[in-house]
Amino acid sequence: MIFQELDLVPGLDVTANLFLGRELTRAGVLDRATMRREARSRLETVGVEIDVDQPVGELSVGRRQIVAIAKALTYASRILVMDEPTAALTAAEVERLFAVMREIAGRGVGIVYISHRLEEVPRVADRVTVLRDGQVAGIAPASAPQSELVRLLVGRPLAELYPRRSGEFGRSVLRLEHASFRPRNTRAGWQAPVDISLEVRAGEIVGLAGIMGAGRTELLTALYGAAGAGAWSGAVEIDGAPAYLSSIRGARAEGLGLVTDDRRGSGLMLRDSVGRNLVLTVLRRVSPFFLMSRAREAELAREAIHAFDVRPALPEVPVGALSGGNQQKVVLAKEVLGGPRLLLLDEPTRGVDVGAKGEIYARIRELAGKGLGVLIASSEMPELIGLCDRVIVLRRGRTVAEFPGGADEHEVLAAAETNEGQTHG
Amino acid sequence: MDDAAPLRDISSAPPAAWRRIDLFAIAVRFQSVIGLVLVAMGGVIFSPRRHGIILFLAPDNIANIVRAVSETGIIAVGMTFVIITAGIDLSVGALLSLSSVLTATIMTTAGWGLIPTVLFVVACGALFGAIQGGISTRFRLEPFIVTLAGLQVARGLALVISNNQYINISYGEGPGLAPPVFAILGDRLFNNVVPVATLVFVVVAAIATFVLNFTRFGRYVFAVGGNERAARLSGVPVTLVKVSVYAITGLVSAIAGIVHAGQFNFGSANDGTGYELTAIAAVVIGGTSLFGAAGSMVGTVAGAMMLGALANILQLNNINAALQLLATGAIIVLAAVLQSLVRRREGLGR
Repeated sequence: MIFQELDLVPGLDVTANLFLGRELTRAGVLDRATMRREARSRLETVGVEIDVDQPVGELSVGRRQIVAIAKALTYASRILVMDEPTAALTAAEVERLFAVMREIAGRGVGIVYISHRLEEVPRVADRVTVLRDGQVAGIAPASAPQSELVRLLVGRPLAELYPRRSGEFGRSVLRLEHASFRPRNTRAGWQAPVDISLEVRAGEIVGLAGIMGAGRTELLTALYGAAGAGAWSGAVEIDGAPAYLSSIRGARAEGLGLVTDDRRGSGLMLRDSVGRNLVLTVLRRVSPFFLMSRAREAELAREAIHAFDVRPALPEVPVGALSGGNQQKVVLAKEVLGGPRLLLLDEPTRGVDVGAKGEIYARIRELAGKGLGVLIASSEMPELIGLCDRVIVLRRGRTVAEFPGGADEHEVLAAAETNEGQTHG
Repeated sequence: MDDAAPLRDISSAPPAAWRRIDLFAIAVRFQSVIGLVLVAMGGVIFSPRRHGIILFLAPDNIANIVRAVSETGIIAVGMTFVIITAGIDLSVGALLSLSSVLTATIMTTAGWGLIPTVLFVVACGALFGAIQGGISTRFRLEPFIVTLAGLQVARGLALVISNNQYINISYGEGPGLAPPVFAILGDRLFNNVVPVATLVFVVVAAIATFVLNFTRFGRYVFAVGGNERAARLSGVPVTLVKVSVYAITGLVSAIAGIVHAGQFNFGSANDGTGYELTAIAAVVIGGTSLFGAAGSMVGTVAGAMMLGALANILQLNNINAALQLLATGAIIVLAAVLQSLVRRREGLGR
């Protein structure tokens, strides 16, 4: 079984992880030498070179995924269950993974492949089972058209996943000109934004493309003052005026709102009700003289639930009991309640079903229509190209290219991955 | 099944599980209140009788129960804030002791009046707690460690100030004598029924209930416990909230210490040992989760009362102290197990 959330121990090295719970021993003592040799040969069958003595926590997420796969492969005798294994991989790594999967399938191993990426399903699967609300909604051959899969997923035909662009933009909400963020403490695997030049105008949705580790999340969190201690250099302007984005509260005062890529970890109070989660950003507004006004709170929560069509439309339900899509709507609605002029969205549809995706896209476009600027980081290229007015490509923390919405996916991918094979100093 | 199997579609929606009212969850939410009622009923049934009077229900006995729980109750009320933020404060018992020593020393040697003394001691307690909270947040240390150190420091300060001796409080006018009005803390009011210490407990609990449920600060406390990162990203002043909750436990410990000095007419560096555990037990029995986020002040008050009533009924029946400890332990485990069952039913816990 390979889980979407990796079941590896970050502090142990690759070898120890591969043999976790089934360590080889000789006379009761760990047999490191044999385990290391075995580990190396197992990683070779997956086709990657990874230092077997390196702690897993120091590897990139993509490489960790491959270690997890190697680990599962050693267990798997007949059936391998893979839950969203490509969620964190680059296109090249995905290709490598698919090649490995085909090879082991050829050896007679059955693979159950779970994914929300419809476009990759026909490439690896022989047969597709669509689940909805915990029930089998349908079984289709892999050759079934994608629209048919979507219909099964959503329960109704989905007319248009991406809303229409308006093409009318207002003043500049965010402008970065050769801006760099220098963190006070450098962290391994944290790609600081370097020499960033970009602009988001009111009413515009701008996408941030880039491979894993290109610095998309880092750029958003650094703008939001949530990247730890550090300072911006170069020109950083909000609404045409220089801004010092060094703290979360400062960024919020400037009108920034952030939805992180991890709604359970840093977005929601899972055990608390939908209503109490929604008003978290506007507690000041619902507590005149420091006293909570239950009436105002309930009113705002009701409005937000209605505007984002959160289901069930009950503010008292614990948010942890909602589906992923509805949880995501709550996180988004919470940020929007705060009344931002610039919304920073990191992977706004991660782990969300296709139906809810369409709704979230429509809401984002609607918000832009009301004059918000939106900056979206996503690893799903079709989403960036389909939703955004412009897509900006990041590579190693730098802005390297820009494409209009609806651009060719392969061109954008190529711009994101150029030179990736080489090592830089 | 073969590859060309026809497409099947199942479009019936599952029942809306969240509309079901979960009586079990509601019962557990008020477990300490229910527990208190059960213990009280047990108290009536198993109480020794004299001249046909149920001793457990005698006004004197009830007054004893509520007086005995008032000090740990006051502390448990403050502890509830800390535990809702998923923290813990082990220094409260030692701080009670330090506060009782400070109170006695100031009134007998410095000759301050009642109000300056009380304000000073309470401010010291709050400051002590705030420093612990500040260290814990600034250096990202576990509150368990910081307040464990705080426990030692407070106990040490109390020993130094008191020279490890009881500091007796005598009342009267003149040097070396405390203001007589302070002795009221050991009295009972309203026909000699309601202990003043209990009144202090009631007032502290009422204020705390209000703050936790009806103020913005209370909501911040729940938010920090519910998801600290989400709270920070939503603009909640997380550090300030965390420092504040430890200032609150420090403050209530000081109040409890003043009450202690007033009730027993001395300050001692060796009192209040283990109070932190009694207070934590009351909070946990009251339904507040040690993982943070969930909790209620009413539950804590009922939890403290329940522990007091249980100890009382065991004493009335001359059951020894060791058995009391066993009973308390069993109840804490039971309370925690019930909480965990509810979490699992809601699909939210492990």
